[in-house]
Amino acid sequence: MGRLFSLTYPTAAVLLAIQAQHRYGFDIMDATGLPDGTVYPILRRLERRGVLVGAWEEESTARAEQRPQRRYYRLTPVGEEALAEVMERFPALHRLFETGTV
Amino acid sequence: MIPGSRIIGLAARLVPARRRRDWRREWEAEAAYAWKCRSRNGQPTRVDALRLRARVSTCVIDALWERKETMKMTGLFDDMRFAVRSLRRYPAFTVIAVLTLALGIGANSAVFTLVDGVLISPLPFDDSERLVSLQHLGREGRDELPVSDGLYILYREQVESVEGIALYRGTAVNLVAGTESRRISAQYVTPTFFDVLGVPPRTGRAFLEEEGRPGAEPVAILSDGLWEEQYGRNPDVVGRTLDVDGVSRRIAGVMPEGFGHPDREARIWLPYAVDPAQAPLAAFGAEGIARLADGASIEALHTELSGLTSRLPERFPESGAAAFLAEVNLRPVVLPLKQAVVGDVSGTLWILLGTVGFVLLIACANVANLLLVRAESRQRELALRVAVGAGRLQVLRSLMAESVVLAAVGGMLGAGIAALAVRMSLSALPAGLPRVAEVGVDSRVLAFTAVIALGCAAFFGFFPLLRYGAGDLAGQLREGGGGGAASHGPRRNGLRNGLVVAQMALALVLLVGSGLMLRSFQALRSVDPGFDPDGVLVARLSVPGAEIEGWEETVAFYRQLRERILAQPGVAAAGFTQGAPLTGGMSYFSIEVEDHPRGPDELPVFARNVNVGPGYLEAMGIRLVEGRTFQEGDGAEGLRAAVVSRTFAEMWWPDATPLGRRMRIGYEGEDWYEIVGVVEDVHHLSLEEAPEETIYWPATVGPAESPFPTRSRDIAIKTAGDPLELVPVLRREVRALNPRIPVSNPRAMTTVVSDATSRTSFTAALLGVASGIALLLGLVGIYGVVSYVVSQRTREIGVRMALGATAPSVRSMVVRQGLLLAGVGVAIGLVAAGALSRIMSSILYGVSATDPVTYGSVGVVLVMVALVASWVPARRAAAVDPSRALRME
Repeated sequence: MGRLFSLTYPTAAVLLAIQAQHRYGFDIMDATGLPDGTVYPILRRLERRGVLVGAWEEESTARAEQRPQRRYYRLTPVGEEALAEVMERFPALHRLFETGTV
Repeated sequence: MIPGSRIIGLAARLVPARRRRDWRREWEAEAAYAWKCRSRNGQPTRVDALRLRARVSTCVIDALWERKETMKMTGLFDDMRFAVRSLRRYPAFTVIAVLTLALGIGANSAVFTLVDGVLISPLPFDDSERLVSLQHLGREGRDELPVSDGLYILYREQVESVEGIALYRGTAVNLVAGTESRRISAQYVTPTFFDVLGVPPRTGRAFLEEEGRPGAEPVAILSDGLWEEQYGRNPDVVGRTLDVDGVSRRIAGVMPEGFGHPDREARIWLPYAVDPAQAPLAAFGAEGIARLADGASIEALHTELSGLTSRLPERFPESGAAAFLAEVNLRPVVLPLKQAVVGDVSGTLWILLGTVGFVLLIACANVANLLLVRAESRQRELALRVAVGAGRLQVLRSLMAESVVLAAVGGMLGAGIAALAVRMSLSALPAGLPRVAEVGVDSRVLAFTAVIALGCAAFFGFFPLLRYGAGDLAGQLREGGGGGAASHGPRRNGLRNGLVVAQMALALVLLVGSGLMLRSFQALRSVDPGFDPDGVLVARLSVPGAEIEGWEETVAFYRQLRERILAQPGVAAAGFTQGAPLTGGMSYFSIEVEDHPRGPDELPVFARNVNVGPGYLEAMGIRLVEGRTFQEGDGAEGLRAAVVSRTFAEMWWPDATPLGRRMRIGYEGEDWYEIVGVVEDVHHLSLEEAPEETIYWPATVGPAESPFPTRSRDIAIKTAGDPLELVPVLRREVRALNPRIPVSNPRAMTTVVSDATSRTSFTAALLGVASGIALLLGLVGIYGVVSYVVSQRTREIGVRMALGATAPSVRSMVVRQGLLLAGVGVAIGLVAAGALSRIMSSILYGVSATDPVTYGSVGVVLVMVALVASWVPARRAAAVDPSRALRME
């Protein structure tokens, strides 16, 4: 099966960031250190290709913090597969994000 | 206020509408979260605000990306692919819609093929718009005269605004090969003929100028068809000889396939001999055509010809003919050749095209209604598509794409139907339709089909758009997806009702049209032709001078043939005529009546003339009013007797008997003929026109010492049985007398009469089929709307019945709705028909374009149809079980 998206460094970074539990747009921007204008288009494209799926966070969480609900992203099974390839092509990259997580 | 929120608001406008709300929500949430985080440790600094603003402004990039993606996604190809997939999910709907369209489009393409071949496409000659026909009118239009040899010579010498002038005259000749003889169509043409039309022979040469003079070597030019039949396309045919009417002619050339004018009937062309020294000025024996000189106009040619004809007596002071032409006020008529060829058939053809156009409109309205119903039932699907992110534009585009796919498939099928219909109907076309040989499905027809198919798509695709084009689609669809609350909107019902009303109105117009044609046809059929066609056989015989030279032998041949035919069992009567009624061709002569001498200022009197032999009037069943009919011995060789028609008798002797009076062909020195009988009027030229005053002369006229018998005659045989069974008998008897004289064109007289009504019956049949389809589609339309409304109102009807409404009252409520739609449609249709039927008046006969009987009965028929169409859903409504209806939702 052909790949659904081109596996560039920014894409790989976004996927790894999400796997490392950076799930919101701004968080991903912070975690990857990618230029701000590049992250969202990558998210949109990956979502459209079925690599990611976006959803609204629980209303209660947002209400507790008195702010609007945020939209978070997680990997789909396709995304998990894609991630395996990321690991193969960018073996060192994932370490960048492991330090970011608690 | 959170920094950057205004940028988000602005950028959101770039985002496609269907994504906008979520997109904006996400960005605003992120910005709010980030601002909240920064606010946790006290008031954020201006730098914090600036940083956030910078980050948020990148939302513009995101928004632009969204826009680009959506545009890419809504590519036309994807729309079409999606449309095909979605249509395949509803095969019944798709098949009905496609078939309806294929019929409508096919009918239009078929009739357009006819209109294009006959009316629109140029004549198949080079620079054909420079070709004109030359004719003349005399006596302020009462005489239609073609061209005389003398005028041809004069025009050729004098007229500057033409490149060339040619004459032609159709005829038939006996072609003899060995012992076989057959009769073929031929044309006498001046040597200029091929040059004027701009078509050189494919082999050999055209006629030389000197071959168009009396006494030249006899030559002939073959048609492609005759060349093939007679010589198997042998290229060495030029220079050989063939026997035409007993004369051996040298073949000069062969014309290319498909050549001919005004039709492609002629199989062989012979030189039309004109003697410049003594060309008669007033014998109008040939049709004239001309090619305009470069830059010359029809008006210029007309002016030039008028100048010549008005000064004929000055130019030919000695000629009685010139004086005569001045007397009848001869005027040239110059028409574009195409117009002259096509003649008066254009009205009929345009009306037919309009008719099938109406059928297509009705078909489109029906498909539009189907699409609306389908859109209703697809609300869930559409809502789903909006929910998963399809924009309004995209949904509308995909609805439009479905219309385009439907129309495209319908169009392709329609083109096939048209090709088939044209091929099958060519033989059914009305007799005498010009240019039939040029009719065929070509690239123009296909282009026309494509254009109307697209037009259809635009037309019926427009209604679902109208339905969903405005307002908040997502909201509308979400509501509709629930259970049809939105479907009660007056807007949607208004659309569908409007379509049904339009269908009914269009159907009424068509029904009125076909009703009027039917009444015309009936009126034509009930015209008394003045003769009795039952059991009468007519056939053409021709005795060329080269075959039987002397007048006595010619007369004897016809007399012996008649005797032999009369001796056959079952033959009641037989006789000869110069031309049977309704077979075209009759001559006019100016005549003089002995007891009504013409005053010096009076115009000459013209009358229709037919030369007939004894037994003809009896065989044709033309009733005798007074006196006697012809007998053997009447004619130049015996008693100079004549018979006149009732109108002729009443015109000249309204209060007295014409018997014993005398008249003659209106030239000095002609012999007087005594009127021996009066017969009933006969429709000679057409059933539509009133019979004209007619004189029957004997078959042999002229001076007593050298009379000239009519050499080409129709024989009319009255028999008790099937007249066509006599054809072999007739051939056998003719062969027994002279094997080189062929019998051509044998027909039952009943066929001749039905051919004479064929244009009317053809139009009536086509209009009948069209209005039948219209009626059916109208029925389906009303049924569809009423039953849909019933299904939507089931709950309401249940409530009504629970509250005590009776079944009849529910039924009448539903039927009333159908009748209301039909009533409005009929009212609009009556007004439209009244306005449109005026166009038809030229092809109507014996019925007014605003005939109240037709309008009334058609209106009643439509209302009855509406009644039937609403009765079925009304019964269903009345059978609603209140308790079940109430539980339904």
